[in-house]
Order: sequence, then structure tokens, then C-alpha cells
Amino acid sequence: MSTIEIDRVSRWFGNVVAVNDVSMTIGPGVTGLLGPNGAGKSTLIHMMAGFLPPSAGTVTLDGDRVWHREDVYRRIGLVPEREAMYDFMTGWQFTLANAELHGLADPGTAAARALETVEMTFAKDRQLDTYSKGMKQRVKMAATLVHDPAVLLLDEPFNGMDPRQRLQLMGLIRRMGADGRTVLFSSHILEEVEQVASHIEVVVAGRHAASGDFRAIRRLMIDRPHAFLIRSSDDRRLAAALIADGSTAAVELDPRERALRVHAVDFQRFVTVLPRLAREHGLRLYEVAPSDESLESVFSYLVAS
Amino acid sequence: MNATVAAITWRAMVGRRRAVLLLALPLVLLVLAAGLRLTGVADAAVSRGVLGALALGTLVPLLGLIVGTGVIAPEIDDGSIVYLLSKPVSRSTIVVTKLAVAAACIALFAALPTLLAGLLMAGNDRGLAVAYGVGSLVGGVAYCAVFLLLGVLSRHAVVIGLLYALLWETLIGGYVPGARTLSVQQWAVSLTSAVADDGAVTADVRLGVAVTLLVVVTVGATIYASQRLRSLTLAGED
Amino acid sequence: MSAPRQQTGVIHDIGYRNYDGARLGRWYLVRSLFAQSLRGAYGLGRPARSKVMPMLLFAAMTFPALIIVVVTVITGSDDLPLDYIEYIPITFYISAIFLAAQAPQLVSRDLRFRTVPLYFSRPITYADYVLAKYAAMTAALLILLGSPLLIMYGGGVLADLPFWAQTRGVLKGLAGAALFAVVLGGIGLAVASATPRRGFGVAAIIVLILVSYTVVSSVEAIALGTGNPTVALYAELFTPYNLVNSLQLWLFGVDINPQFSDLSAPHGWQGAIFAGTALAVVAASAGFLLLRYRKASTR
Repeated sequence: MSTIEIDRVSRWFGNVVAVNDVSMTIGPGVTGLLGPNGAGKSTLIHMMAGFLPPSAGTVTLDGDRVWHREDVYRRIGLVPEREAMYDFMTGWQFTLANAELHGLADPGTAAARALETVEMTFAKDRQLDTYSKGMKQRVKMAATLVHDPAVLLLDEPFNGMDPRQRLQLMGLIRRMGADGRTVLFSSHILEEVEQVASHIEVVVAGRHAASGDFRAIRRLMIDRPHAFLIRSSDDRRLAAALIADGSTAAVELDPRERALRVHAVDFQRFVTVLPRLAREHGLRLYEVAPSDESLESVFSYLVAS
Repeated sequence: MNATVAAITWRAMVGRRRAVLLLALPLVLLVLAAGLRLTGVADAAVSRGVLGALALGTLVPLLGLIVGTGVIAPEIDDGSIVYLLSKPVSRSTIVVTKLAVAAACIALFAALPTLLAGLLMAGNDRGLAVAYGVGSLVGGVAYCAVFLLLGVLSRHAVVIGLLYALLWETLIGGYVPGARTLSVQQWAVSLTSAVADDGAVTADVRLGVAVTLLVVVTVGATIYASQRLRSLTLAGED
Repeated sequence: MSAPRQQTGVIHDIGYRNYDGARLGRWYLVRSLFAQSLRGAYGLGRPARSKVMPMLLFAAMTFPALIIVVVTVITGSDDLPLDYIEYIPITFYISAIFLAAQAPQLVSRDLRFRTVPLYFSRPITYADYVLAKYAAMTAALLILLGSPLLIMYGGGVLADLPFWAQTRGVLKGLAGAALFAVVLGGIGLAVASATPRRGFGVAAIIVLILVSYTVVSSVEAIALGTGNPTVALYAELFTPYNLVNSLQLWLFGVDINPQFSDLSAPHGWQGAIFAGTALAVVAASAGFLLLRYRKASTR
């Protein structure tokens, strides 16, 4: 059992606070670290990998601090986001070198096995600088899997992958998680996280915004007011009709957008009431759009609570 | 010492473009030595002048800079050092191994050509060729240690190293006598003077002082570099 | 629920708009690139960290000139201790480091991060790009090399030294500075553009200048010692600072090399060889840069 414990960790760079009093526990299985760009996901992952000391708080792996400890790398594998590798090597040489650096008893076999797992055996004798981005990503994965780590940290692993490669990588990550490893990967794309991770941690602007099962969090959000943007043939009359109904909490006429903004508190009721009211008052609805279902507004809801 | 780290560092060092520079410098020295020998002007005095000014005075610091920073700074710069650091290999092993590769490069591209150039110009007259060869080797390794540390400390290692080698050692060393005691160049000269026949080479720093400082600086720089490498932070999106 | 989705406060979809107004021409582009590169050579418009080195070197370059002025004023002598055209060869270490440190700043970033094609997707041609960068490097060097001369001139005027002699002197000095700037700038940029790694470019430039200087000095010392003054004279061709120095000595009719009293300056047609070599170096540097960026623009 390998568990990463992040306890009240903060990290600042001069005046910029990248991570703000975050506490979380990453246990076996697949965990997704979700957040918009610049939320501090990369910083957190590098702190977990022992490449960045926390400015406050502690990061431990099964009770051992990860900073300043080289032997912790027997248990951890990090797949960094940056692309730079030793370009003059071939895929095979790179993976083999990583195996040797881990001091494995049989580096050749481990390297071959790792390359097979990521399906890069076909290109192993080509130099790394001839690889496409997706291929480089897979070789990075191979180099990290070569020592069979109990903990796998992946920083934006799906960046730059085409759909087929993404499916492959998702399958690989799921298998790793099913094996009992602790796998953490970061992403800003909801769908990627949704499909792979059983447990997600949401980080927004350096703060830990939400944690738990993905579907549970989604459901929690339904309790929030939903915001809609509506354009109709007579916004003001529609506004009056809507506010009279109990499913709305606020209506606002936006002169700049020339539209009606509605805050609905009872989502289920509102979606049936709106077309009915429009028909009753003889109004045409030109546009009905939810103005908050983007990731940004989802996150801002979570942070505002 | 770690064989894999050594292999990676060596291959990165003698990769195409850097190898051009590494080969070009000793080539210039050897061509000059050959030219002087062919035109018949080469004697012990000339040999001392050329080996002192060109080999020990210019080639060794420059190669020390190129090799010393080159074994570590590019990897830190583009982030590929993460593949060395994310392994259960001690940081001092990494630094020592890289320094060893640097020393091998110095031996091959600075010390050996210096020896050959000296032999070419005046044989081992007054022990100059061997003496400058030894001085180049030891001085070169000391330079490498210092510049390797600089490579770990700063992203502007090459320019800072240049300022040290040119401004401090040459300009200021020329005017401020005390500065010569703190100059790797002068320590190497002292060593050369000791190895050569008596009186062949004049040194400004006493041998005991020079040797002590050489050892202290080389070992000290290596230890400090290992410490700083442990604390090297890699922050992801740069 | 119909599309389009509106994201509150983040992106306003106003549709793609064409610009039909006046466009500033190619010349404006070249001028802007020149100005930006020149400022970048001194770290202006870049983070504070990039300002340290050039400002430090600028201070180091002008400091001796200030000392000279103070000494002249205090001792009340009727001439500057150093002639204007001697200043640059004497302080060549400093300007060499400046060239080595800053020439890569002008060209390496574009090469390293592969933004060169972005330039060429605009109305700027690769020749314009090279022109702008070369001009910027020359201008940056001219500022570095000319400022101490102007300081010396100002000091000389303040110290009541003969006005017309000083003015003639400083004009010669500035003309010499311009020659240095063009030749050195070309060499520095050409070498720096050969590699996307900045540190490596720095090393390569300084190696070129320093090693050639040391070799030439050794050869000269030996040649003069064995009574071969012509060899020593022509050896000056093979290292940039000495090449331009000899050229300026010839142009301004100076007989003996002030730093190296055994060495004479070129006379008569010998000077033409120096001029021709300098021209060839400039042409070769420009040619190399043009080839380099033509390759980059068509990739």
C-alpha cells in the first residue's frame, strides 16, 4: 500500500502563491488531479515527486518525506510534462539507460517489457529526435515503468495525443490502477479525468476545491443555482413570467448582451416551465444557453462555496 | 561513479557541434607548434612562451569552461536532468561521475595536445613539455570543478565563468598581486614550475599554497555542487 | 437548449473580424525589429536578470574613461594620456565579453524556440531580418565602444584641452569604433546563429576571438624576435581586433602601433589588404547569416 500524504502544503514563488494550504491523501487506484491551467497542478505533482520543497507543510510517502531523499525514487515514477530528453539516444537506449540508473538486476528485460507495455517496440531503434510528440510521451512512460514503481505520477500525460493514443494511454493507466498501484495524473479536461479516474481532486487557483468521486461532485453541483442566457421576442415579459414562478431566484436584463439572464434554483422544474411560459405568453425563444456549464464556472462554483 | 551517467554525459559532450569546438582548439595549438617547428624558430624559450600563453593561458581555461559547464548546464537548462535526478542515485555520484568525464575530456583535448605541442616544438627540453602537460591537466580539472559548480548554481554560468577567467585572472591579476594567489591559472603555473627543470618557469605563488588551494577548491567545489544538486528544484511548466 | 454556449466573463465571441485599415509597410517592420533587438542587447524590455550583464559590462567599459578624465583634470596636463583610437584595442577583453554574451541574446531565442518561421509569415523577408539584426548588433556595439570616447571628449573639453585637436581625435575614434562595431558584430552574430544553445554560442565567440588573439600574439612575438617584421605585420590580419586596429591606424595615418612599439602599422598599399580583409569578413558574416536564415525561412 503506497499512500501519498499531503498535509497543509503551501508553495510560493516570491509573491506568487502557487499552492495554498492544500491537504489531500492519494491512495491506491487512479486519481485525477483536475484544474484549469495555472491552478498549481504541476507544482503539486513536482512536490509529490520530491523535486520541489513545500514552503509550508509536509509531503510524505508512507510516512517518509519525499524531499531530499534519493531512495524514494525506487517507489516513485514521474512522467514530466516537458519534452526534453536525450535526443541523441534511440528509444531503446533511453529506456535501457533509465533501467540501468535504477540499478535493476536485469535492465535489458525490464526495458524490453516496458517498451512492449507502451507499444513502442516497433520504433525502438530510431533516435528520439525523430519521434512524434505522442511517441515521445509513450517512451517517457516506458522509462518510468521500467522499475515497476508503486507510485506513478503523470504530469499532463494526454497533452498532444491523438484520440487513438489517448485511448491506449487511458487503458494503460486503468490497468496500472487495477494492479494496485497509486496512479496520479493531472489534466484540465473533464472528460479525460472522468473516463479514467475513480477519484478526483480538484485544484483551482492553488486551492483544494473539491475531492471525491466524480459523479458525487457532479451531483452536488445540481443543488446550485444554474444560470441561463435567454434571448426571446420580449425579454421583459418573459422575465416577469419567470420570476413569478418558484423555480427562479433572479432575473436580469443585460443591456449589453441584449438578453435575459436567469438564475434557476430548481433546475428540473425550470427546464419544463420555461417553454410552457413562453408558449402561454406567445413569446418566441431565439436562444436558450446555459451560461455556466463551462469548466471555469464549475470551478468557480466550487471555490465560492 | 556510475557507468550509465558517464556514458550519457560522454555522448552528450562529444555530440556533433561541441566536438568541433573541442577538436578545433587543440588543433590550432598543434598546427602552430608544427608551423614553428617547420620554420625552425622553435626552441625552449619559444616553447615556454607558446605553452604558457596559448596552452595553459588560453586553451585550458576555455576548455575548462566549455567542458565544465557542458557536462551539466545544458541538461539543467532543458530539463532533461530530471531523468538523472528521479533515480535512486546519490547526487554526489552524479557530480563526481560528470567531473570524471570532464577530466577525461581535459586530458584528451587539453593536456595531451599540450604535451604533444611541447614535444613537437622543443622536445622535452628543460622538462617543459611534460611540465606544461601536467599543469594543464591539473589546472584543467580544477577549472572543470569550479565551472561545474557554476553550471549548477546559475543559468549564466558560461558568461560568469568568462568574466572570472578573463577579467579576474588576466586583467585584475595583472595589476593586483594579491589576486594572483586566488587564481587557478597561477596555481597551475606553480605546479608547472615545480615539475619543469629548475628555473625554467617562473611562478608567483608558492608550490605549497598552490597545491593546497587546488585540492581544496576542486574537492570543495565538487562537494558544494553535490549539495546544490540535491536541492535543485524543477518546477514543471517553465 | 441551443448553441452557442456563452462562457461568462472569459471569452466573448465577437466573430472573426478582418482588418481593412492602413498597414505600416515592410520598412516599419524592419525598423521595429531593429529597435527591439537593440534594446534587447542591453536588456531593456527584458526581465531585470538580463540587464545585469550588459549594464555591468557597459560600466566596466566606461569606467577607465572616467578615470582618464579625472586624472587629466587633476594633473592639469595638456593632453589625454591615451589617444582616442587606442582605447578600444586596450579594453578589448571587455567588449569581447559583451559581444560573446549579447550576440546570442539577439539570435538564439528565436532559433531555440523555433519562432523564426513566425517572422517570415509576415511581410518581412529573411534579408530584412538579417539586416535588422546585424544593424542592431552594430548599433549596440557602437554605443558600447563610442560612449567611453565621448566621455573622454567631454572631459577633454572641460579640462580646456585644445578644442579642434580633441574634436578631430574623437571623430577619428568614433569612426574607428564604427569599424570595430561592424566587423565584430558580423562575426559575433554569424557564430551565434550557428547554434540554438545560448551558452554554447557564448563560448564559441569568445574562443574564436581569444584563441586567434593569443596565437597571433605568439606568432608576432616570435616573428619580431627573429627579425621578421613583415610576418608580424600580416599576422595582424588573423584576429579581429588586431585587424580592425591596424586598419584604423592605416586610415588615420599612424606610423607605429601604439600598443606594440616594435610593430609598424600598415603603409600604403599594405593597408588596402587590411581594408580588403575587413570587407571580406563583413561580407562573409553577412553571407553566412543570409544563408542561415534563408534555410530557416524555407523550412
